[in-house]
Amino acid sequence: MQNPDTIDRRAFVRLGAATGTLALAGCFGTEDENGTDADPDDDSGDEAGDGTGDDVTAAPELIEVEDPPEAVYVPTHREAMRMLEPIHEGDFALAPMLSYPHPFWVIAGGGDDDEVERVDPEDGRGVHMMFTLWDAETGIVLPVDEGAQLRVLRDGEPVGSPRSPWAMISQEMGFHFGDNVPLPEDGTYTVEVTVPSISTRKTGDLEGRLEQSETMTFEFVYDDEFRHEVVEGVEYLDEELWGQRGALEPMEHGHDGHDDHGGDDDHGDHDGHDDHDGHDDHDDHDDHDDHDDHDDHDDHDGHDDHDDHDDHDDHDDHDDHDDHDGHDDHGGHHVPYSALPRIEAYPGTRLVDPNADEVAVETSDLPRSGDAAVFATLLESGSRLADGDEGYLLVSPRTPYNRVPLADMSIVATVERDGEVVAEPALEQTLDDEYDLHYGASVEGVQPGDSVTIAFESPAQVARHMGYETAFLEMPPVELVVEEP
Amino acid sequence: MTLPDRSSLSRREYARALVAAGGVAALSACLGVDGNDGERDVPPGTSDPDALPERQHAWNEALETDADGNVRLPEHHVLVPLSLRDDPDEVASETTEDALRTLERAYEWSNDGLVFTVGYAPAYFDRFDESMPPSVDLPDPEALTDRESPEFDEFDAVIHLASDRPDVVLEAEEGLFGERETLNGVDVEATLADVFERIDDRRRTGFVGPGLPAERTDVSGVPESIPEEAPFFMGFRSGFRESQATEDRVTIDEGPFAGGTTQHVSSMDLQLEVWFEQDNHYQRVSKMFSPEHAEDDLVGEHGERLGATSGLTDERIEATSADARERGVVGHAQKAARAREDGDPLLLRRDFNTVDGDRPGLHFLSLQRGIDEFVRVREAMTGADLDVPFANNGIRHYIFVNRRGNFLIPPRPLRSLPSPDPDPT
Ligand code: HEM
Repeated sequence: MQNPDTIDRRAFVRLGAATGTLALAGCFGTEDENGTDADPDDDSGDEAGDGTGDDVTAAPELIEVEDPPEAVYVPTHREAMRMLEPIHEGDFALAPMLSYPHPFWVIAGGGDDDEVERVDPEDGRGVHMMFTLWDAETGIVLPVDEGAQLRVLRDGEPVGSPRSPWAMISQEMGFHFGDNVPLPEDGTYTVEVTVPSISTRKTGDLEGRLEQSETMTFEFVYDDEFRHEVVEGVEYLDEELWGQRGALEPMEHGHDGHDDHGGDDDHGDHDGHDDHDGHDDHDDHDDHDDHDDHDDHDDHDGHDDHDDHDDHDDHDDHDDHDDHDGHDDHGGHHVPYSALPRIEAYPGTRLVDPNADEVAVETSDLPRSGDAAVFATLLESGSRLADGDEGYLLVSPRTPYNRVPLADMSIVATVERDGEVVAEPALEQTLDDEYDLHYGASVEGVQPGDSVTIAFESPAQVARHMGYETAFLEMPPVELVVEEP
Repeated sequence: MTLPDRSSLSRREYARALVAAGGVAALSACLGVDGNDGERDVPPGTSDPDALPERQHAWNEALETDADGNVRLPEHHVLVPLSLRDDPDEVASETTEDALRTLERAYEWSNDGLVFTVGYAPAYFDRFDESMPPSVDLPDPEALTDRESPEFDEFDAVIHLASDRPDVVLEAEEGLFGERETLNGVDVEATLADVFERIDDRRRTGFVGPGLPAERTDVSGVPESIPEEAPFFMGFRSGFRESQATEDRVTIDEGPFAGGTTQHVSSMDLQLEVWFEQDNHYQRVSKMFSPEHAEDDLVGEHGERLGATSGLTDERIEATSADARERGVVGHAQKAARAREDGDPLLLRRDFNTVDGDRPGLHFLSLQRGIDEFVRVREAMTGADLDVPFANNGIRHYIFVNRRGNFLIPPRPLRSLPSPDPDPT
């Protein structure tokens, strides 16, 4: 057994090194049994060959990690996608994104085999249709499933039945909504997205907002150009990284992350950016060996190559992707990534792992359950989140590397003192403009030294992209202690 | 009117498609399929109005039952929406009654013959100065969740025709409107066409029964993976006796409309590709019935393991909110059953599948004493109180409501253009 940290670090470093220099088409061209894959030179749009146009290469040949760990792992590739212009309506903003249809996993239940199902795309034309949804004012990504709807139209006529996209998490995109949507033929499609009012408990600036369902519309063209873009844009990682514990870094929202899209209208205003700015950051990481995930890079003390990150306000990490390259001109294309605040952004008395030598500094140091990093803190009495004078127990489970919130879980905390249970609150899923998605409950009289067991009655009921499907399923309780001063 | 292409369809499919198309041409084509008028063997009706039950909705006694004793709804259904030509008067009322009696004389009140109801919308009663008695709860239809923005049935009336024989529902509809001279050998003497206009683009059709959904895989959005024997698009049996209200329970028990009932009709799209090709059977059973049904394998492929009940014990119903938290998923049936009163379901569901508009859907039709009861059950189904993500909240992720309508089904003696406050008869 290797030390996972080592793997993480190595994975990460290699990841950084690999992303810049990927051999693309060859990767799927050679792995393919029948050898009929898209040839990157073949941009004439005649993949159908027989002229019927029915046999398009709608998706790359996927290489998957065999026997991945039961943890977050590095997949074999980065997905390519086309980002469309974000749209706004009422309190909501959303950014549509399109990729090729690909596998994902849906979950209904506790995470046993039967309760999780792999979804494979249908043959033929289609897209993986996604959108990130956020509160237009605060920029908080809304990571809860309350029933969005998609209606695809062509020339005003519905294409297929309406669908409710799945709430999903992916390493590159964070929390988003998406589904594989088959398309009958090439052409221009209109999509009506209806986003629901948000009934999840909302606090802070979110209180009273997002109460009204809204419908927004976007269009896209599905054609050879699109398929080439997303099929050829796939970036395979160095094979050694496949299946290692670690995660792809979040996508450069607002960039498309691929250098071959310069001419695309949708990204027109990013043409000037070197898409690999983000990767330069990785390279920096080569220099330090004391942390193992790219989330960390923002706040490491003493790393002078991160000057432009050090001055971040604690809680606005979802903006990091906007400005950590020093680009501040993303304007209309800025799409927030659903990263939760870093742990030092949370006030209160921390709940810590009684067996750990040191208090966690980073999300990745936190105690884990099912590879979810579990952050917990006790806000002092009278906190704005609590009822009246009570204290507030805030639990924020997240993906260990990218700090993506794990939504739609059920969590119960058991507080014990001298072996007696003194409180056993069921925590309520809450969205706050400052602390973002968390699970919380007002509690009375919890004291330093009390032990608090965080039990996960049901794991995150969100669909997963590759690299997350084996994590956050079996989630044993985590035992913590309220830190003593 | 374009008729379906016979060559590409089986006989049963073709008949179903003709019911959906409707009209005289479809009828003659249909008679061609099922043998011509003379050779047909449709059981005749009765000329004695007293031989039929006083409740229009008294179908159960007359219908067949399945092997488990559950009422077997007729296979073919049409909802005929009607708009009055003029404000109602006595002549119009008599014409209506004569036209309806013609149907009763022509066809046996049964699966093989015809069962039907006539219902009136709030918009109809608004034509009168009098108001409805408090014993009838018939509000205007409204959106019942904030995930929908339905259109509303604002026409006057709707006739629900149902028979196992596609030619009978078609013929009855045509006969009512004077497009046939005889119905099953009975002369048509009165026509609704003098009183009502049909609203063609609101006409709805459908089908229910083992094997029928699986025959619709030619329709886009209907996947091949529908179980062969399933009676409903979503793949499971439904309408188990113990999950249905009795006809007594849904009957208005006082006031001038005693003996009547209310009818809610909602129409919805179904997302079957996601349901069948993304979720697995275990997940489908969890979401349709309850997670415990899935764990204990109580349902079988399409419900064949269930007999006359949907397997909802009091414990399983009560466990709904705990299942939401502890299992992250709740079943539709389990959740809706929370609205039972003293253990009795409030709704008598007579819903049917459709491919109207060339996509899969459901015309959900239920009878209940008052629309308020429907609303209560629908709230239980919405489950806003449950701590569960939308995708795992029963079947809500897969249904998309487009229309809603509320109707009063008066007792038979009042079925022809009643006033809102008729004199007791
Ligand atoms: C596609 C749509 C629907 C399908 C496939 C469906 C299917 C089912 C199934 C399989 C059952 C359990 C078996 C049984 O009926 O005995 C059931 C029960 C039930 N459903 Fe639905 N249903 C649908 C829509 C609705 C709607 C819109 C309502 C409106 C409130 C509803 C209300 C009920 C009720 C009240 C029960 C019985 C609960 C009890 O046992 O007390 N269903 N449904």
